[in-house]
Amino acid sequence: MSSMSLALRNLRHRRMRTALTVSGIVIGVAMILVLLSLAAGTSTQANGFLRNVVGSEITVVNATTPSFPGGFKFNGTETGGFGGGGGGGSFSMIFGGGDPINASLVGRIDNITGVYVASPELSTSGYVDGANVFLYGIVPSTYSEAATGLDITSGGNLTGAGQILLNSVTATNLGVSVGSNVTVGANSTGGSTFKVVGIYSSGSTFGPTSRSGYVELSDAQSISSDYGLVTEIFVKTTTPSLVSAVASDIESVISGVTANVASSITAPASSLSGTLTTFFTVIGLVALLAGGFGVVNTMMMSISERTREIGTLRAIGATKGQVMQMFLGEALLIGVIGAVVGVFIGVVASAAFPLFTGTSASHTFGAAFSGALRPALTASNLGISLALGTAVGIVAGIYPALRASRMDPVEALRHV
Amino acid sequence: MSEMLVQTVDLQRRYKRGKVPVPALNGVSMSVQKGEILGIIGPSGSGKTTLLNLIGGLDRPSSGTVTVDGEDLGRMSDAELTEYRLRKVGFIFQFYNLIPTLTAAENVELPMALAKAPLEEQKDRALELLEAVALGAKADRMPDELSGGEQQRVAVARALVNHPAIVLGDEPTGDLDSKSAKKLMEVLKSLRKEEHATFVLVTHDPIVVAECNRVCAIRDGKITRESKIGEDGKVLDHSRFVMDALF
Ligand SMILES: Nc1ncnc2c1ncn2[C@@H]1O[C@H](COP(=O)(O)OP(=O)(O)OP(=O)(O)O)[C@@H](O)[C@H]1O
Ligand SMILES: [Mg+2]
Repeated sequence: MSSMSLALRNLRHRRMRTALTVSGIVIGVAMILVLLSLAAGTSTQANGFLRNVVGSEITVVNATTPSFPGGFKFNGTETGGFGGGGGGGSFSMIFGGGDPINASLVGRIDNITGVYVASPELSTSGYVDGANVFLYGIVPSTYSEAATGLDITSGGNLTGAGQILLNSVTATNLGVSVGSNVTVGANSTGGSTFKVVGIYSSGSTFGPTSRSGYVELSDAQSISSDYGLVTEIFVKTTTPSLVSAVASDIESVISGVTANVASSITAPASSLSGTLTTFFTVIGLVALLAGGFGVVNTMMMSISERTREIGTLRAIGATKGQVMQMFLGEALLIGVIGAVVGVFIGVVASAAFPLFTGTSASHTFGAAFSGALRPALTASNLGISLALGTAVGIVAGIYPALRASRMDPVEALRHV
Repeated sequence: MSEMLVQTVDLQRRYKRGKVPVPALNGVSMSVQKGEILGIIGPSGSGKTTLLNLIGGLDRPSSGTVTVDGEDLGRMSDAELTEYRLRKVGFIFQFYNLIPTLTAAENVELPMALAKAPLEEQKDRALELLEAVALGAKADRMPDELSGGEQQRVAVARALVNHPAIVLGDEPTGDLDSKSAKKLMEVLKSLRKEEHATFVLVTHDPIVVAECNRVCAIRDGKITRESKIGEDGKVLDHSRFVMDALF
């Protein structure tokens, strides 16, 4: 007969009361878990939102390239703002920018801690069916993650060499559409045949990039004879808060490059998700605290009812420590059962949450924050919830258990 | 000459009721012999429970000494007194005081569990004692599935499980009908022989007194008289003694 199985007997003996007490912890733990998951989901969404809308967080260029405060990235002039667009590649062209850098730097940047993805771009000038066009060579698989994705209005993305994406202005001017073949080269005469696979939104029609096209990096390199070279590398970090640290790491690890940071947007957005996390956690903790007081209350009631039993235990030779253990054991069990059931309910509630709030794609600013709240269950949040529920049980049990162990046995035995 | 197990010398215990000291025990000097069943009788409030608590190490004297098996309880720390209660004392209460969530057998095992005895030993010893109190067949019953007399016999088994030097009963038949009381005394008598146990029983009950080897009467915190013992080793004319002691 261990103090633990004695504790379990006592809890089973008063099933209804135990259930009510446990439910206090259950509610607290379930709330904590749902709220932590919501906070995690929100910050995941916020990060996803940043990736979609903000474009690259860091743009690595040759150190000789002039840099521009306020963020390279937002000049998605091709689409006129947040909607899509190719990122900052245009600058080096517009301002006659710096020299290209070695394409192998992509691999070195990828290896830096905190880097989520790095994607190279070669900005050059070329001719499509004889018309001068800004040509961007990209790696399609990583480009959409590292920079703002293109807002393709018809057709699809690049899937291989010999393919080209044109912006709608260029396509209209040239009178081509998805499926057409065009001739692309470094000069107005000659070149190779490319297939138009997609048309992307031009955004504003003014500006120097109004005629542009995207091809695979290797195609761009052969057109401009810049073999093995790129003009910029777009970088996304794993967490928005890491941006400036990663940028300075890049500059210190790789000499001769400048890492421009789009700090103006990432900082407030990441602090917003931090605030939400704190807010949600506080609500959950308050609920759990209430559950803890429920445990204290039940334990005190139980101790007062069992005064004579405690006196008996002390009389037949139970030490203060053993009495303490029995009651702490009950509190611990309440905490553990409450935590386990609470986590279970929290998981179910988190999974069911989108059903109640509706879902929507978060491609626009509004949807990302006001539309679908999608909780994200993480192992650490499950662990935190379990640990918190258990800890609340134990902590709530300490005072009642201490009271029980310190009862005067003679007084306790006189109690009726 | 029999061996002395308990000796009290000028034992006093004063309680404070507000600022007025209430003398519950007022200089009790008495002794308990090994292997006897000693009765203590006296009117309500005379100090019987107070005396048992002092012998049982639940309470400390205001002055005077209690010596059990050569050890002065007054010199023991709280932890030592707890250990003393666990190993040397068995308690039987008027209202049985079994743990309601434990079976009869588990209640009997409890003091052994508190003493961290091996599990096998606990089970064997508990069954042995439950059989001795004629409850071997009801070992797995919960207390509320047993009659008052049966519960009190479980309590007796629990009191004896750690081979105590002395068993203290505070009105052990106080809540029992006379048939159950007689049965309980049968059990105590046989356990006294088999377990070489010593009993001190506070009681008003002539059925208990009839089985005592000796009876002390207590009044206003003092021992006022001691019974005469007949040739059978029992209290002479016990009904008479009880009447005299109480009224
Ligand atoms: N904790 C206490 N505080 C104050 N007075 C007490 C306390 N315990 C006992 N007393 C008093 O001490 C005296 C002796 O009490 P005790 O319980 O020993 O009597 P008793 O002989 O066991 O009586 P009963 O037959 O009613 O059980 C009584 O006057 C009682 O009121
Ligand atoms: Mg009494």
